[in-house]
Amino acid sequence: MIDETYMVLKRAREFPKDSWTLKRALDDGAYDNLKKAVTEISQADLIELVKNAGLRGKGGAGFPTGMKWSFVPKDVFPKYVVINHDEGEPGTFKDREIAERDPHQMIEGIAIAAYAVGANKAFIYCRGEFALGSRRMDRAIKEAYEKGFLGKGIFGSKFDLDIVLHRGAGAYICGEESALLDSLEGFRGQPRLKPPFPAIKGLYGQPTVVNNTETVSTLPHIVANGVDWFKGFGTEKSPGTKVFSVSGHVERPGNYEVAYGTTLDQLLDLAGGMKDGKTLKAIIPGGASAPLLTHADYALDFDSLKEAGTMLGSGAVVYMDETTCMVRNALVTTEFFAHESCGKCTPCREGTSWAVKVLRRVESGEGRQEDMDLLLDIANGMDGRSFCPLGDAASWALRSNVKLFREEFEAHVREGRCTFDGEHKELVGARSGIDTGISQQGDEGLGGEDRLS
Amino acid sequence: MTQQQTEMVTVTINGQQVQAENGRLLIDVAEEMGIFVPRFCYHPGMKSVAVCRMCLVKVEGMPKLVPSCSTPVADGMVVETDTPEPAGAQEDMLEFLLINHPLDCPICDRGGECPLQDQTYAHGPGSSRFVEPKRTYEKALDISQLVVLDRERCVLCWRCVRFSDEVAGDRFIQLVDRGSGTQILTFSDEPFDSYFSGNTIQICPVGALTASTYRFVSRPWDLKAAPSVCSYCSVGCPTTNESRGDKLVRVQALPNENVNDFWICDKGRFGFHYVDAKDRLSTPLVRDGDDFRSATWGEAVAAAAEKLGGGKVGVIAGGHLTTEDAFAIQRLARKTIKTPHLDARIQDDGAAYERTLAYSGVVGSTATINDLDGARSIVWVGPDPKEVLPVLYLRLRKAVLDGGAKLIVVSPRRLSLDAFATHVIRCEPGGEANALSALTTTAPVKDDLAAPLVACWSPANPGRETGADLDSLLKVAVEKDARWLVCAPHAGSQGMLDMGVHPALESGYRPIDEPGMDTRAMLEAAAAGELDALIVVGADPISDFPNRNLAQAAMEKVGFSLVIELFPTETARLADVVLPSTAAPEIEGTLTNLERRLQKLEPLTKSPGTAREPWRAMADLARAMDDDWKWTSFADVWAAITKEVPTHQDLDVAALAQEVPPSALQYESGTEEQPGPRGPVVAGPGGQYPKGHRSGAPFKTASWPLSWELRQFEAKQRPGHIPDAPEAPEEKVGAGADAAAPMSGEGFVVYAGRQIYDEGAMVSRSSVLHALSKGAFVELNDEDAKELDVTDGDEVTLTAGNNEMTATVVIADISKGAVFVPYDQKGLRANELLGAGGRVKVAKA
Ligand SMILES: Cc1cc2nc3c(=O)[nH]c(=O)nc-3n(C[C@H](O)[C@H](O)[C@H](O)COP(=O)(O)O)c2cc1C
Ligand code: SF4
Ligand code: SF4
Ligand code: SF4
Ligand code: FES
Repeated sequence: MIDETYMVLKRAREFPKDSWTLKRALDDGAYDNLKKAVTEISQADLIELVKNAGLRGKGGAGFPTGMKWSFVPKDVFPKYVVINHDEGEPGTFKDREIAERDPHQMIEGIAIAAYAVGANKAFIYCRGEFALGSRRMDRAIKEAYEKGFLGKGIFGSKFDLDIVLHRGAGAYICGEESALLDSLEGFRGQPRLKPPFPAIKGLYGQPTVVNNTETVSTLPHIVANGVDWFKGFGTEKSPGTKVFSVSGHVERPGNYEVAYGTTLDQLLDLAGGMKDGKTLKAIIPGGASAPLLTHADYALDFDSLKEAGTMLGSGAVVYMDETTCMVRNALVTTEFFAHESCGKCTPCREGTSWAVKVLRRVESGEGRQEDMDLLLDIANGMDGRSFCPLGDAASWALRSNVKLFREEFEAHVREGRCTFDGEHKELVGARSGIDTGISQQGDEGLGGEDRLS
Repeated sequence: MTQQQTEMVTVTINGQQVQAENGRLLIDVAEEMGIFVPRFCYHPGMKSVAVCRMCLVKVEGMPKLVPSCSTPVADGMVVETDTPEPAGAQEDMLEFLLINHPLDCPICDRGGECPLQDQTYAHGPGSSRFVEPKRTYEKALDISQLVVLDRERCVLCWRCVRFSDEVAGDRFIQLVDRGSGTQILTFSDEPFDSYFSGNTIQICPVGALTASTYRFVSRPWDLKAAPSVCSYCSVGCPTTNESRGDKLVRVQALPNENVNDFWICDKGRFGFHYVDAKDRLSTPLVRDGDDFRSATWGEAVAAAAEKLGGGKVGVIAGGHLTTEDAFAIQRLARKTIKTPHLDARIQDDGAAYERTLAYSGVVGSTATINDLDGARSIVWVGPDPKEVLPVLYLRLRKAVLDGGAKLIVVSPRRLSLDAFATHVIRCEPGGEANALSALTTTAPVKDDLAAPLVACWSPANPGRETGADLDSLLKVAVEKDARWLVCAPHAGSQGMLDMGVHPALESGYRPIDEPGMDTRAMLEAAAAGELDALIVVGADPISDFPNRNLAQAAMEKVGFSLVIELFPTETARLADVVLPSTAAPEIEGTLTNLERRLQKLEPLTKSPGTAREPWRAMADLARAMDDDWKWTSFADVWAAITKEVPTHQDLDVAALAQEVPPSALQYESGTEEQPGPRGPVVAGPGGQYPKGHRSGAPFKTASWPLSWELRQFEAKQRPGHIPDAPEAPEEKVGAGADAAAPMSGEGFVVYAGRQIYDEGAMVSRSSVLHALSKGAFVELNDEDAKELDVTDGDEVTLTAGNNEMTATVVIADISKGAVFVPYDQKGLRANELLGAGGRVKVAKA
C-alpha cells in the first residue's frame, strides 16, 4: 500500500485540531511564500516559474496554469483574479475541505496568483451551501487584512490586493468559468460565448484569471520549493499531487492527496478497499461528467485517463459495487444534469430532460426495446453540439452507462421492473448527497463555535 | 467617413471557393453564395449568441462541429454544411426543438411563414419519437396591449430578449428559470412597455410572440403585400404593408441598412388602423349653411376654383404629404393662382431650416443616418428622439454603443439619450444656442468634439423660436468640419422644402426675392379678415398650430376655405369645401426622409369613395382654373418634377421602386415554377434564386429553405436616392443668429414636446396605440415642485390667459423654471397654453 503525498492538505492533516486558525498557519510558515514572491520574484519570473513547474488546473479541465496567466494582457487595467470555489461536480468535495481547514493557504495562493498577473482585486466565488467554509474564509480574510497580508503595500512592496468573498446561489453551471463571471456580475448564470476567453475579456469585460481553489492552494508550495521539487511528484505531463475525493462503496470515503499517476487500485486501497468486501462493478473516475470505467488498473493522470476514454476531471472518484443498478445510476446522473442545465442551448436543455423521461420509464419497468437506442441517439445529439461542456458531459455519462451496461437496461425492459429491486437500491452519490468523508476523518475540524447550526 | 481597408480571404464551402472579407461570419458568407445554413437564434441585426445550435457546420481541422453564426471565416477554411455529419446535427437539433413544441400550427399566426415549420417540413422527421407528455404553459399571455406571448411555441432563441436588450435598450422581456423550465417572460409588475416591442414579433422565428392586432386575422398565403414607407415621422422607415381582401391588416419593417436596419417603431407598425376609421372622408363636401352636403368631385372642385381665381390666397400644407403632392401644391400656388403665400410649417412656427442654406446649399441634412455609425462624436439638440424620431433613436444608440461615438446632448430636460451620452448639457429653454456656442471652448466637452462629427438638430419645441439653436449648431459644425442631420418634423416636411412649399424658397432651394407670408402671417391675415381664400392640404392648424385661438379665428374669418383631408378635423369642420384625400398605403408616391433620401411607396389598398391623392386634386383645381397640367399618372407628375425642380433633374424615379421580400413561406423549390403571391424572388449577389412556391407544396430539394434574412439582405439593396446638393450660394441667406429668447416674465416657461402617442389624427384613430398615450402630465424640476408643495403624482393646475387645465406632476430632470408640457395629450392642449405667450402659472390643484 502506498502512502498519501501531502502538499495542499499538509497543514490540514498535520494539525487537524486547528489548521484553519491564523496562529497555527503562521507558526507553520503561512504567508512566508507570499512575502518571498512579492519581495524577491518579479511578476514575469513568477509566471515563468509556474509555467516551468507544469502546474495544471485542478478545476476540471487541467489547463496549464502558467500558460493561462501568460495570456493576460499586460497593459490593460484593471485585471481580476477569480477563484472558482463553486465545487458543484457531484462527488467532489476537496475544495470544501481546503477552505474549511486551510483558508490561509488559499488566501496566500490567491495573493500569489494576483501578484503574478497584476491584479489588485480578487473574488472568491463560493458555493452557496458552503456555510462553514465561507465563514472560515471570511474570518481568514479579515485576519489577513489585519496582518497586512492583504490591502495596500503588501510586505512593503507596491502590490495591493483586495479580496471579495461572494456566495453563489446554488447552480452547478456557475462553476463553469464564464457562467461564474456572469453570476458574479449579477446576471443569470449562463456560459458566455468564447472567444473572447476570460483572460482577455472576463469579469466586467476586463482581463480575468479564473483558477480553482486547489490550484491556487498549490502555489505557495511551488514558490517555496521550486520547479524541480514540484516535478519530483507525479508524471511528466501531470506533475505534482492531486486531492481525490473518494466516495461510493468504499470502506473510508474521504479526500486523499496522492501524486498524479497513482492508480485507481492504489487509491481504493487508501480508502480501505470496497465496502463489506463486495466486488467492484464500475468507477466514475472524475466526477459525474466522466465516462465510467469497469476496472481499477488505470493511472490517475490527465493523459492515462484520456487514453482510457474518460477523464480526470475534478478528481472525484466514485467506486460502485455489484449491487448498484446502473439504470438508476444513469437516471440520477442525468437527472442531475437536467436539473443543472442552464437552458441556454437546445441540445442540453431538451436532450437532458428527454433522457430523464425515458430513463424514468426504463427504471420503473415501463421501458421499450427501442429506448436503449433512443437514449444513445439523445446522447449523440448532445455530444459535441452543446454550447458548453455541461451538455457534452451529460451525454458522456449517459452513453457510457447504456453502452457498458446495456444488458442491465434490457433486463429492466424485459422484466418490466428494476432487477435490483428488493436488494440495495441505494445509490452512490445519489440525490441525497454525498458522504464527504470529513466526519469520517475525525470531527475536530467542525468543533467549537464553528459547528454548523 | 473613412472606409477601412478590408482583407479578403479564400474559403471553400461545399466545394465552392469564394473570396470573403476576413472576419465575416461563416453563416453570412455561405448565405451570400446561396448556401443556406438553417438557424433560429442568429439574426443579422444582433450579436450572435449561438444558443440554438441549429447552424452547426463542419470545418476541416476542428475537432467538433462549429456554429456558423459565431465562427468568422479565415483564410483557407474548408467548410461542409450539408454532408452527413452537419446535416445529422441539424436534424437532431430540430428533433430536440420539436419534442416540446405544441405543433398547433393550424391555429398559429405564423403557420405558413414559420421557419420552424418550414425547416421541419424540409428536414424534420415524419413522426415523433417523443412519447411523453409535452411541457405545457398557460397558453396566450397578454404581455402588453400589443404583444401576446405563447411560451409553448417558443424555441428559446433569445431574439426577443436580445432585441430588447441590445437594440432597444429596454429590458422588459427576459428569460426566467432554467433548464427545460427556461421560459420567456416579462416581469410581473411591468408590461412589455416598449416603443419597439413589435419588432420582437417580426423576428420571433415561431408563433410565440404574436400581435394582438393580427391574431387569427389571416393566413400568410392570403395576404397581398406592397412596399411602402412609414409616414409617421421623418425617419421614413421602409415598411411592408399587407392586406387581406382590401383591408390593411399588417405592417412590418422592410429592412434597409441605410435607414432603419431591421426595425420600425410600434407607431409605424400598429398605427395603420386610421385608414379604416369610421369617420374617414370618402366624398367631397360642400358647405350648406351650418352643415355640409355631399358633392361630386367635379362639383366641389368647380366650387372651389371659382373662389380661388382672384384676391389674396394662402396655402398651408401639412407634413404627411408626398413629394408629388408638394410639387403640385407649389405649382398650383405659384403658377396657377399666382400667390407667393404658401408654407408647410405648422408646429415649428418660425423654425428656420433655410438657415442651413447659408452653410451648404441644401435645406436640410448633409449627413446620412449611416454617417452616425462612423462618427466619433455626435451632438444632439432637440426633442427626445425616442418620442419623435423613434428609429433614429435606435440608430443613435447603436452609433454610440456599438460604434463608440461620443454623444453630447444639449437639452433643457432629460432625454432618453442621456443614458448613454458622454456629456449632457442642461440649459434653460431658449438657452440652447448659448450652450452650443460654448461647446467648442469648454473642457472637457471640446476634447470630445472630434471629427468625424455629426451634428443633429430637430425642431424641438412647438411654439419656440429655434432658428438660433440651429445657427449655433451649424457654426459648431462648420468649425469642426462636420456634417449635420437637420431633421424635418414630419415624414413629408423635407419634400415640402425640396419642392418649394415655402414662402421664401422655390423648389431646389432657390431663394425668392420677395417672400410671401408664412403660416403665422397667413393665419393672422385671415383672422384679420385680410385673406380672401385659404387652402389647407393635409393639415389641421386648429389642433396643431401653437396658437389654437389664432388658427380658429383664421378659419372663421377667411373669405373662403378649401380643406383636403382624411378626416373631419377641427379645421375641416370650418371649411367651405372639403375634398377627401388618400392615405399612404393607398398610393404610389415618394417621401423624402430627414437625410433627404427619396423613397418610394407602392399602392396596396383602395381608398374609400372618391378620395384622391392631393396632387390630383391640385391638378383638377388647376384644370378648373384653365391651366391644364395634363397629369393622369404618377409618372406624369414626375415628368414635370424632373423638368422644373433643378435638384431632381436627373432622377430616375422608376429606379426607386422597392420590392417586398417574399415571405418566409416561399422557399426554394426544385423544378416547379409557381410564382408566389408576393412578387418575384429577387436575385441575391450570389446568383438567381429559383422561383418560390407556397408552403404546402411538395418539397423537392435537399437544401434548406431560404431564410427571410436572406431576403432582408436583398432588401438592403434598395438605397433610395439622395438628390445632389446645389452649390452653396455666395451670399449667406438667413445667416446670423437671432438672440436667444431670454427667460423673463412671470410663471413657468412652457417647454412643449411631442410624445410618441398623442391625440394626433392618425394615432388617435389607431385604437391600440391611442390607449397607450400617457395623458395629461407635466414635468417639473425637483426644487420647483418643492416650492409648489407638490410631488410625483399630484395634480396641478396650469393657467395661461383664459386657459386653465389640470395635469399630473412628474418630477424630472428639467431646467429650473421650466415646465414640460406634452403636446396634444388628452385633456392638455399645449397649443392653447403656448398661444397665450409661452408662459404658464402652475399651482397645486
Ligand atoms: C459545467 C461545468 C462546471 C464546472 N464546475 C467547476 C467547479 O465547480 N469548480 C471549478 O473549479 N471548476 C469548475 N469548472 C471548470 C471551470 O470552467 C474552469 O475550467 C476552472 O475553474 C479553471 O480553473 P483551473 O484552471 O484552476 O482548473 C466547471 C466547468 C464546467 C463546464
Ligand atoms: S450545455 Fe447549454 S444548456 Fe447546458 S449548461 Fe451548457 S450552455 Fe447551458
Ligand atoms: S419568444 Fe420567439 S423570439 Fe423570443 S425566445 Fe421565444 S422563439 Fe425566440
Ligand atoms: S421611426 Fe418614424 S418612420 Fe420609422 S416606423 Fe417609427 S414613426 Fe415610422
Ligand atoms: S446557434 Fe447559430 S443560429 Fe443558433
